Amino acid sequence: MRAVVAEDLFLLRDGLVRLLEAHGFEIAAAVDGAPALLRALLDHQPDIAVVDVRLPPSFTDDGLRAALEARRQVPGLPVLVLSQYVEQLYARELLADQAGGVGYLLKDRVFNDDQFVDAIRTVAGGGTVMDPEVVAKLLGRRSRDEPITRLTAREREVLELMAEGRSNSAIAQRLFITEKAVGKHSTNIFAKLDLAPSTDDNRRVLAVLAFLNT
Amino acid sequence: MSSRLVLVMLLVSACVALCWRTWASGARIPKVWVARRLVPLVLMGIGLCGLLLAGSSGLPSRGLMLHGDLMLPGDLTLSGTAISRAASWRDMLLLQSAAFLAAGLWLLRRSAQQHSGQPRLIPARQPRWGWLLLPTLAILIMLLDHGLGSAVLVLAAVTMVIALGMVIRFPAAAADLATAGLIAAGLGGILFAANPPPVPLPGALAAVPGGPVTEAFAAVSTPLVLLAVVESAVIVAFGLWLVPRTVGPHVRTLLGLEPDAELAGRVEQLTQTRADAVDTAAAELRRVERDLHDGAQARLVALGMNLRAAERLIPTSPQAAMALVTEARETSAKALTELRDLIRGVHPPVLADRGLADAIRALALDTPVRTETDIDLPGRLDPPVESACYFAVAEALANAVKHSGARLVQIRIRHSPDPRSPYADPRPPYADPRAPMPPVPGLLRIEVTDDGMGGADPARGTGLQGVERRLGTFDGILAVNSPPGGPTMIIMEVPCALSSPRTSSC
Repeated sequence: MRAVVAEDLFLLRDGLVRLLEAHGFEIAAAVDGAPALLRALLDHQPDIAVVDVRLPPSFTDDGLRAALEARRQVPGLPVLVLSQYVEQLYARELLADQAGGVGYLLKDRVFNDDQFVDAIRTVAGGGTVMDPEVVAKLLGRRSRDEPITRLTAREREVLELMAEGRSNSAIAQRLFITEKAVGKHSTNIFAKLDLAPSTDDNRRVLAVLAFLNT
Repeated sequence: MSSRLVLVMLLVSACVALCWRTWASGARIPKVWVARRLVPLVLMGIGLCGLLLAGSSGLPSRGLMLHGDLMLPGDLTLSGTAISRAASWRDMLLLQSAAFLAAGLWLLRRSAQQHSGQPRLIPARQPRWGWLLLPTLAILIMLLDHGLGSAVLVLAAVTMVIALGMVIRFPAAAADLATAGLIAAGLGGILFAANPPPVPLPGALAAVPGGPVTEAFAAVSTPLVLLAVVESAVIVAFGLWLVPRTVGPHVRTLLGLEPDAELAGRVEQLTQTRADAVDTAAAELRRVERDLHDGAQARLVALGMNLRAAERLIPTSPQAAMALVTEARETSAKALTELRDLIRGVHPPVLADRGLADAIRALALDTPVRTETDIDLPGRLDPPVESACYFAVAEALANAVKHSGARLVQIRIRHSPDPRSPYADPRPPYADPRAPMPPVPGLLRIEVTDDGMGGADPARGTGLQGVERRLGTFDGILAVNSPPGGPTMIIMEVPCALSSPRTSSC
């Protein structure tokens, strides 16, 4: 798999490149600024881009905007956005095109390289990965009259883990239930959120979107 | 006629004396009531008396003097000047009485306005004394008018136009002139009123042939003279009362005896808000220091100790070392979380990235209560103003969530360019239209409304007071309207400039 890495701090960029190479990724480009990132994304059209939100030249959200612009020109270009902090606002902007293949994680998650690489693979496969902190904040502001409240406690747990980008087997392992039970729960979730039958991956993305957008 | 007048005068003076006694002794009738109800009524009474008596006094009206000299019976000629003096005397009394009536009515209306309703957020507008210039000049012209004939009308018209322009353009100078004019008009009025001209009797004017000459003149009745003198004296007193309110401070400022009151007030306010700003900043720094000391720093120490212990354990028991390294990783993650929260409290990253509008939208998304935003800010504010406004809204939102029990919070933010500012369109004429707009001065208005139970009192909590102080640094104000039972509305207004949006770099 070919990857593009954008990070302005040399040490972190170097660390990311090493980590990805160690897990069998091919680094198409490693850049340190937003304009270079946009060029690299459009030229290489990589299988996955790992992008820091805050990049030169203005050191605000240039990285995010470059990634969004690239996805506008190449719909569905898989992008995993890393940040020192997470904002629901940015999560929504990433998810707005409903094309899937986006991730939004805290930089801390790099510490756990197995989970991090899993997340990268999920995004590269068109899935959606949201940081547990985003998910936790969303749960903090649920009000009563929303379709999401029709879910049982267990179904909500499954949906949360789904939003974090975990596969059915990972969810099963985490909740100490069988994979078949996870499948049943997710079918219920899709039904309760009125998601029309389609490929499982797509419905997972839509379920997460429904979760984030309510 | 004159006996009725004496009765009226007696009644009025009895009234005034009674009120004065009550007021001075501080008895049951409150001073405020006397000042607000009785003074206007007395003024109106004097004015009405003057109008009625002057009208029925038999003094000639102004129209007569235009006829030139008047042949009287016998050999006597009553000159136009004499008639004109008598007419002037009558007109002065009429004019002064009308002014008294108007002043009484104005006072009554003003006191009714001040009396009604709740205490106001914005203090009642100060009276603009400059407008007194117009009636003052009218009285002065009347006093100086002897033998001017019809030219006096032209003079009066020109003077009024000039005075009007002055009142509008230079209100302070107009007020000073009005004060001086009032004193002069009052003093002149006393002299003129005390020496009334002989009154040509109606019989004389009708030129009855063969009538006795001595009956052609009469003196003005004493009560009328008294009334005119009293009115002029009150005008002098009013002028003297105005001196410390208009001319006094200006003269003292001019002489360097005293700093400009407006400037002094501004300096005091700036000193206060600056001290507040420094205090707030110092408190904030202390909080950051404490948080860093207790949080991230302590965790880094633990991290170092763990790693050192792991270092020692690696040769002998790698398993235990592993556990320690895992713990060290978790500790570093916790330290990061704490640093992140700290940074968010100091300056939220999204505020730096996107500006106030998106930062408030992000804040609304993170709020547990449903929060709707209606924000129209086509540019960026100064970073310090942005930060103050952000934390002000955050505090208002936190209050709504914690105390009000609201189900819906609405945030509305607008920036209106100041239409009075000469820089409303800050571009110089013929500027390149592609050049970026310089910052537009104006007023930022933030409204935070919740449908909770209301009863918020900014005087009780420290949160809103802190917000008020913080906004005060930028001459901003905060108003809370929170009747028991809700809804609560918090309005903040900050004068600030809006700069053109930063163009995207990618």
